[in-house]
Amino acid sequence: MSTSDSKPNPRSWRKAYSLTLSLFAVEVVLLYLFTLRFS
Amino acid sequence: MNRLDYLVLIATILAIPLYGLWRTRGSASLGQYLKGDTSIRWATIGLSVLATQAGPITFLSMPGQAYESGIGFIQNYFGQPLALIVVCAVFVPIYQRLKVYTAYQYLGERFDRKTRLLGAFLFLVQRGIAAGITIYAPAIVLSALLGWRLNLTIWLAGGLVVIYTVLGGTKVVSITQRYQMIVIFVGMAIAFAVAVYRLSPDLSFENTLSVAGKMGKLEAVSFSLDPHKRYTFWSGLIGGFFLALSYFGADQSQVQRYLAGGSLKESRLGLLFNAVVKVPLQFSILLLGAIVFMFYQFEKPPVYFNQPAYERALENGYAAPLSALQRQFDEVFAQKRAAIRTVSTGSSSERDAAMNKLRELDAQAHAVRDRTKAVLVQAGVDPKSKESDYVFITFILQQMPHGVVGLLIAVILCATMSATAAALNALGSTTAVDFYRPLIRPNASDHHYVVAAQALTAAWGLIAIGVASFASLVENLIEAGNILGSVFYGSILGLFLAAFFIRRVTGSAVFFAALFAQSLVFVLFATTNIGYLWYNFIGCAAVLIVAPILQHTVFRNAEASAVV
Repeated sequence: MSTSDSKPNPRSWRKAYSLTLSLFAVEVVLLYLFTLRFS
Repeated sequence: MNRLDYLVLIATILAIPLYGLWRTRGSASLGQYLKGDTSIRWATIGLSVLATQAGPITFLSMPGQAYESGIGFIQNYFGQPLALIVVCAVFVPIYQRLKVYTAYQYLGERFDRKTRLLGAFLFLVQRGIAAGITIYAPAIVLSALLGWRLNLTIWLAGGLVVIYTVLGGTKVVSITQRYQMIVIFVGMAIAFAVAVYRLSPDLSFENTLSVAGKMGKLEAVSFSLDPHKRYTFWSGLIGGFFLALSYFGADQSQVQRYLAGGSLKESRLGLLFNAVVKVPLQFSILLLGAIVFMFYQFEKPPVYFNQPAYERALENGYAAPLSALQRQFDEVFAQKRAAIRTVSTGSSSERDAAMNKLRELDAQAHAVRDRTKAVLVQAGVDPKSKESDYVFITFILQQMPHGVVGLLIAVILCATMSATAAALNALGSTTAVDFYRPLIRPNASDHHYVVAAQALTAAWGLIAIGVASFASLVENLIEAGNILGSVFYGSILGLFLAAFFIRRVTGSAVFFAALFAQSLVFVLFATTNIGYLWYNFIGCAAVLIVAPILQHTVFRNAEASAVV
């Protein structure tokens, strides 16, 4: 592993996972709105 | 295709591997050959993971899938972001900490050699066949439409990949995938823009989408609980989660991509990049298919998109029934065009009536195409590939400007090369690390194993080309890879989840549980008709349920080695 991984910060990774999940949730909501608009 | 197209095509598919080989020139240690080096950053890893998953089928079949059945297929990817987060949090730190070359090495460390070999064996069988399909799928379509010889097309796509993958190993695969993915992005963006530009001016873009939606093509999300409905939010989220968890966590062709570079941070960022971009990317490709569908509501499509098969049927003496069907199709098309005009210009009540008429006419057009296919079967030219696989490539060849045609054929070949290179790289590595080194030559030099890995990669290349050359294509290209993966992935994932989360279980219990789970999935596959995504769940659950039972009964006296 590189030096930047020697002390991985679990809290910052949890934030990154939360952000990813939030973006995915936004994507699903947008797709659902798209479905409602055009179906 | 004209000279400009061929120039763009040849320059694109040759330049990227040549550049990759130049970047990776010089000798490499086994570690560098199998895992790349620390210069590989998250962007390259992210694009490499994306390219490995995409493959030619994504660009060839997916627009056709949307043309035929709408964009609901997008829901199959809903489990992927969640699975990628689990892979980042659980799988990657363990692989990085143990500094493994293959995922199956971890099974050896946690359990025993036979469990490691079982995991590696299941992967090799599945991925070896899938690599053949990856080469065959675009070759059968391109050879049919462009008049290229099938075997020549297979060797052109497969042979080039074998050469650069054998010479450059993981690093060349990552570098070439990065640029191949850029070509794919550019090509698909141009295709999208041209398709929108070519839409009829009779309808605004928004109205075009409204009509496509009313014809059932734009239902992206369905919360239906009907088990007979093929694509729903729930099946995509749950079944797709297990498929993606197996694929990204336990399929060496992906594991090798994100372990390239050797940094936990870069691996995780590359995977999270995929978690964010995958759904929008697939949506764009499916939407392109829906736009092509709308284009063909104004511009008459061929009655049957697989034109070479259609022409062979004409030559075989079936001109009379086919001409009759063509006349019916022309008539239905003329009525459809009139109905769409009413939709765009009529009053509110006229629009509703026209939409109902349009849906009815669309069903009639479908029926004519089904009858045409039946005539083709009678004529002995039964096309083995699904007709929808020819929709997008027909659109490219007939509607795109010269130069762009060459670029888009290059997109399909780049996708073929990038997915095949990752598969061969992983197949060669797994055979060298999990079988050759421990079982045949345990104490050879580093250089010896590099040469062995190169020879085994070349051997797998020849096997994949062999599978492609003798394959009789399954009904649907887009589903073939997912079905094949789903049949094997469940038990492989079960092995890994048992290793991570069930402390008091030994190698023998897990080994026999995985054999049971794999047999169960084979039996279900042969005898039932359940949705293939569920095999991932069933195989995995069978391992996780049966292994503890075996541990507490048959293998009660064996000591659990809880090395997690």
